Amino acid sequence: MTQSSIPTIDPNLDLVLERTIDAPLALVWSALTKPEHVVKWFVPAPWTITACEIDLRPGGIFRTVMRSPEGQEFPNDGCFLDIVPQERLVWTDALKRGWRPSENPFFTAIVTLDTQGDVTRYIARAIHRDPAGKSKHEEMGFHQGWGTCIDQLNKLVKTL
Amino acid sequence: MTATAISQGSPAPPIDHVFRALSDPTRRHVLERLSQSPASVSELAGAFKMALPSFVQHLKILEGCGLVHSAKSGRVRTYRLAPQQLRLAEDWLSQQRALWERRFDQFDAYVMSLKETDT
Repeated sequence: MTQSSIPTIDPNLDLVLERTIDAPLALVWSALTKPEHVVKWFVPAPWTITACEIDLRPGGIFRTVMRSPEGQEFPNDGCFLDIVPQERLVWTDALKRGWRPSENPFFTAIVTLDTQGDVTRYIARAIHRDPAGKSKHEEMGFHQGWGTCIDQLNKLVKTL
Repeated sequence: MTATAISQGSPAPPIDHVFRALSDPTRRHVLERLSQSPASVSELAGAFKMALPSFVQHLKILEGCGLVHSAKSGRVRTYRLAPQQLRLAEDWLSQQRALWERRFDQFDAYVMSLKETDT
């Protein structure tokens, strides 16, 4: 991945997870990009994925339908931005199929893979617009008062 | 798909309950009061000019989202602050991290099972 296309990470908004796995690169890439594999790991149990559509090209859809333990289903549509087989996968929920802007953009994920000896290293970066909670506050008509309250409680929490 | 689909998609994720609970001034005052020490329903209610059933409803909301716990001893129910849930509200990024960590734990386990079937 060229240095310039790796975003600057804002520690308040973004995550970087780096892992190594004792499996060949081709297998890791396949598990990451094939619907029959993605359904097996993409949501933490007891949630499940009931449908998955992957059109592995820039502008192609990345769609999953998540099912809650109570049986409610939630479709999630995203769009692939950049694909370099066995090396890099970038997608976002800010766009839907064919780069059409979505109503509620939230994050972009950048997964990079490489081989380190006989293990595969993968680094996932999830970069966000802003904390989900923050935008929810504004919608909910929060006002100054609650911030103070939380500050106080926060101080308290740190002492517990 | 989104990293927060689980929190955004589900009808009432814990974090939303917490924010909703915090959106009300009476409930915030109760939390502030409980941040000093645990208190009984009557001690808490004494500070507010509102009918007891309405006030108890506020306490139920706070307890429902895990911001406070209560225990009954004889005829007195005492409430105390439960700071864990407050951390959740404050630490949105930790939640995201936990989600991705769990996702990749599953991913790693699944890839290893694929590897076994391959060989």
